[in-house]
Amino acid sequence: MTETTGPLLRVEGLVKHFPVKKGMILQRTAGVVRAVDGVSFELRRGETLALVGESGCGKSTTGRLVLRLIEATEGRVELAGEDVRALDTGALRRLRRKMQIIFQDPFASLNPRLTVGEILAEPLRLHRIVEPAELTERVHELLRVVGLAPYHAQRYPHEFSGGQRQRIGVARALSTQPDLIVCDEPVSALDVSIQAQVVNLLQDLQAQFGLSYIFIAHDLAVVKHISDRVAVMYLGRIVELACKDQLYADPRHPYTQALMAAIPRPEPGAAGTRQVLEGDVPSPLSPPSGCTFHPRCAFAKDRCRSEVPSYRRMADGRFVACHFAEDIPKAEAAVDPEGADEPRYRRRLAVLQAARPQEPQPA
Amino acid sequence: MNATIEDVPQRRSAFRRLFRDGAALLALAVLAVIVAAALLAPWLAPHDPFATTRQPLLPPVWNEAGQWAFPFGTDGQGRDILSRLLYGSRLTLLMGLLSVAIGGGIGMVVGMLSAFYRRIDPFIMRVVDVLLSFPAILLGLAVAAIFGTGVTAIIIALAIATIPDVARVTRSAAVVVMGQDFMEAGRAIGLSDATLIRRYLALNCISSVFVFLTLRFGQVILIGAALSFLGLGAKPPSAELGMMAAQGRDFLFFAPHVATIPSLTIFLIVLCANMVGDALRDVLDPRLRR
Repeated sequence: MTETTGPLLRVEGLVKHFPVKKGMILQRTAGVVRAVDGVSFELRRGETLALVGESGCGKSTTGRLVLRLIEATEGRVELAGEDVRALDTGALRRLRRKMQIIFQDPFASLNPRLTVGEILAEPLRLHRIVEPAELTERVHELLRVVGLAPYHAQRYPHEFSGGQRQRIGVARALSTQPDLIVCDEPVSALDVSIQAQVVNLLQDLQAQFGLSYIFIAHDLAVVKHISDRVAVMYLGRIVELACKDQLYADPRHPYTQALMAAIPRPEPGAAGTRQVLEGDVPSPLSPPSGCTFHPRCAFAKDRCRSEVPSYRRMADGRFVACHFAEDIPKAEAAVDPEGADEPRYRRRLAVLQAARPQEPQPA
Repeated sequence: MNATIEDVPQRRSAFRRLFRDGAALLALAVLAVIVAAALLAPWLAPHDPFATTRQPLLPPVWNEAGQWAFPFGTDGQGRDILSRLLYGSRLTLLMGLLSVAIGGGIGMVVGMLSAFYRRIDPFIMRVVDVLLSFPAILLGLAVAAIFGTGVTAIIIALAIATIPDVARVTRSAAVVVMGQDFMEAGRAIGLSDATLIRRYLALNCISSVFVFLTLRFGQVILIGAALSFLGLGAKPPSAELGMMAAQGRDFLFFAPHVATIPSLTIFLIVLCANMVGDALRDVLDPRLRR
């Protein structure tokens, strides 16, 4: 911890355009996909910021841009005051110690040719985190921290179940003692009961080590459980960023309202009141003019078609990118903070809260 | 999982597992015998492989006219075929092994670099295409023109002919591996490109490339035999299996053993190499373990 004041991470105007090439030999650029189109946010120490949105809205790309696993087109990323995008290769590799990632697919994210022990020892050795003599001991400790047993170190990843593998992924991310972990849909490939274990493990580790998370997800129940603040993304932009309670109680952006309404509601009749989002996500190759959400927005006016809404702070402290955020009626379908109107959703939350990670297994 | 946590499972070593595969074990044994016989040729050979006798085209012992002094008979110049076989296997095995090792090593590096650095990929692959369009025989002629004829020239030619094929196979395997999350995970840890290529890319491509190389080993021996036959490789008095088979061609109708015995030896070596390669692939890949 070099700097205790100010946010851990500051992201400003982050842009990533992927060129679309045409032709086999003389490739010319046919257009650009605006995967991330001006994203700004801050992350405090020990905080969890969730990035939510539909598939293809740029949330995973944002996570990778922050870690500089892909190079941004424009913008600024500062981790603990250090400009991540300005670093040379060597300095970036050293900084990687401070920022880690947990992947969505626990089956593809572990090198199948290395044993779990080798996978976990690699970052320790690379960043000289422990003396060579203590390497094995630290690997065993990491395994215990995530609820696995030391003898698992000799095994290969394919010998584990999905949930166990995800724990190994968590242990790998923890091994470098990072400040920031980008969790890229860490539980969406897991069963609900296992999801709960992993989510709770992440929370326990956060409390234990003071980690900050960027939690990328599309499961709003999990997001509600784990996050402090939530950023809703649509077509490469953040449309609303608010504290969890604010956002779930009274979403201000029409897109957030639609997203909240889309949480499954199994009671008969409930679907009748649901606000259903019409149409598909427009192509990020040629986004609509003005507010990119206007073709699907129930409240769209002329101004929305011509003028891009600014990303502004509202009176209650939240950020929103909508011209009429103050005037839009409170959504009926919004899930209330306690989830009292929705038994299934409430049960999911209950499962999340009840399932604590298993006791670390004895050596 | 019913077992309790105290039941630390026993792990079998790679060799143990290899030995459980009966066919592979047999192939390995045959290959070991051939290699040992080739290495011990000076002590095992009953005759001088280059000395001619007055009994050309003597049939092998299982023929009624055969003699125990020459178990596999003699060739067109009356030289003992068994002795020539023992010495010939040395040259053939060495040639196959060296050219596959050199060509395979270079080809693998080229293929992995091509997959890892997408910028240089089109250039490398066009060069590989050009190399692929040369038949190995033509390459052999070109190399012989530069370095002169001989075993070294053959090995160089075969190694060069192996590079583009291996580069292609490696690249296609490596492109799949590059798309996996664990490559990104390795980068996120802060590993250097060299480490990523060595410990992530190479380890995950090597099993498919290895099987290709064992197949290639057989092809290389056959092409080497063809080059010897054309007079580009081993020079006539010295023994080499392919050359021996080629020389037996003239007597195929009245003394078939002169050509068939070395040919069968080549067949046996290639078959066993393929089977061992297949089994090794299964053993080396942790995902295929049972």
